[in-house]
Amino acid sequence: MSDIPNAMLPFFAELVTETDEDRRGFETHPKVVAAVAEGMSLERYRALLLELYHVVWHFNPVCAAAASRLDDRFQAIRRFLYEHMHEEAGHEDWVLNDLEAIGVPSAASRAHAPRADTLALNGYNHWAADRRHPCSVLGMLYALEVIASVYGGPFANAIRESLLLDGDRGVSFIDSHATMDAQHMAELRQVLNLVTDGSAQAAVIESVRVNFHHFTRIVEAV
Amino acid sequence: MNAPLPGSAGPGTAPAVGIAAMLGRPYRNLRLEWSSDLRLLRARLAVRPIQCYSLAALRELQLMLDDIAANPGQVRHFVLSSDVPKVFNFGGDLSLFVLLVRAGDVQSLQLYGRKCVDLVWWMENAAELGIHTTALVQGDTLGGGLESVLPFHKVIFERSAQAGFPEVLFNLFPGMGAWDFTIRKAGYAVASEMVLSGRLYSAEEMHTRRIVDVVAEDGEGEKVLDAVLREVDPRHRGTLAALRTRRMAAPVRYEDLIAIVEQWAQSALELTDRDLRLMERLARAQARKVGGADEGAVEELKRMELEHAWGDRRSGADRRAVSLTDRRQAPREPQP
Repeated sequence: MSDIPNAMLPFFAELVTETDEDRRGFETHPKVVAAVAEGMSLERYRALLLELYHVVWHFNPVCAAAASRLDDRFQAIRRFLYEHMHEEAGHEDWVLNDLEAIGVPSAASRAHAPRADTLALNGYNHWAADRRHPCSVLGMLYALEVIASVYGGPFANAIRESLLLDGDRGVSFIDSHATMDAQHMAELRQVLNLVTDGSAQAAVIESVRVNFHHFTRIVEAV
Repeated sequence: MNAPLPGSAGPGTAPAVGIAAMLGRPYRNLRLEWSSDLRLLRARLAVRPIQCYSLAALRELQLMLDDIAANPGQVRHFVLSSDVPKVFNFGGDLSLFVLLVRAGDVQSLQLYGRKCVDLVWWMENAAELGIHTTALVQGDTLGGGLESVLPFHKVIFERSAQAGFPEVLFNLFPGMGAWDFTIRKAGYAVASEMVLSGRLYSAEEMHTRRIVDVVAEDGEGEKVLDAVLREVDPRHRGTLAALRTRRMAAPVRYEDLIAIVEQWAQSALELTDRDLRLMERLARAQARKVGGADEGAVEELKRMELEHAWGDRRSGADRRAVSLTDRRQAPREPQP
């Protein structure tokens, strides 16, 4: 029978299987289904990008907090995080540029107070890196990169069509991450397969679940 | 490689004992019904919002089949249908495929494929368990959805249902039994035509090709199903004996199904960004239909077929997508 016990699977495969319903919980939420199929109104897209700005802003600080707590048993993961932070540095400015393109000045975007769901997402990721297990950051990376690489492309197309945007104008962050995160997914799989410690694996799985949950709530609320 | 024997419950879940326990499982994607006069178990699949073989749906189906096998002699007839109007099954979970392909995860692709093969292999072995199987298809069924009905002893389609193997349109092929079961039912030429064209077929066309046994008028599927079951039931023992020997005359081997799944997973890893964008386009069409649009995956496939026929698939965005370097091929190894 092909019911291979999860203990025999590489961790990435186990993670995909264990969290598939969480991914589908995001994918099948009516607001997400509608957004991927038909795009969004300008008002809702602005609201989404304003929340996204705060998620992206906290991405590297969370990675840095986790990297600083990973001891030498997790050296490869720490180095992966250094490189990843380097690649992601400044990407919150891309969100600001997209907001500018759809009529929200940078100052207004920076001054925007994130909603409770966004605070909950960022708060959990900081807490988990600090108190749960620093490897939990890989769960945040996985959830956000799945969202970007699997759903980002169709969503960017739908937004482009529904708001009649030209080229990458207004969708540069989402569209470019849809392509970039395809590369990131392959790298992340290799890094996740280095996680063999049981408590680290459990923390990653929990983090994936919480990130999908909160991200779904963010889309639901805008 | 030894073929699995139907009846071995998966690890970690004890089989239910008795019909009441089987029906009492808290399924999320399945609705079971029992008719004691025919000893008929009906399973209606409803994976919402997009009817496909998600990992959870595969797990529940396998659990149900393990329960049936663990209670020999209880079930005489098994019928699979859909609880989603106008859709039988769209096949594989396209988003999961995109995720696994982008991650370059051949093992998970193979694992997914093997889970699908285990389901079709169970159906292939149903006669050995004393069970006659019928698929009632009242809506469109694509790719893995069509593969999943091929090993049933009787296949009933309502007239407006359409089916096909669209995988070739995004440079893949159906890898979970399409070749073996289509060749056995309809011959090599029909299998080649269906797999290599990627086109959709009407119920009548499928009937002409012997893939479908009975075409019912729309809304008449249940009545036809009842007639089929009542025709088979008095000849149940002889029918199953004949079906068991049919397997000896035209065997399908588990080893071959698994070998094809492994080829399928390797081929999936070679999909380009352009291929994945076509797959995403199909997924987006499925979502649009769920959102209330008139047109969904079937209409999108027809558009893809037309584009394919006219050879303009490499226009515009597609050409730009294909020109992107596919960086998935050579991810750097993290230093241990």
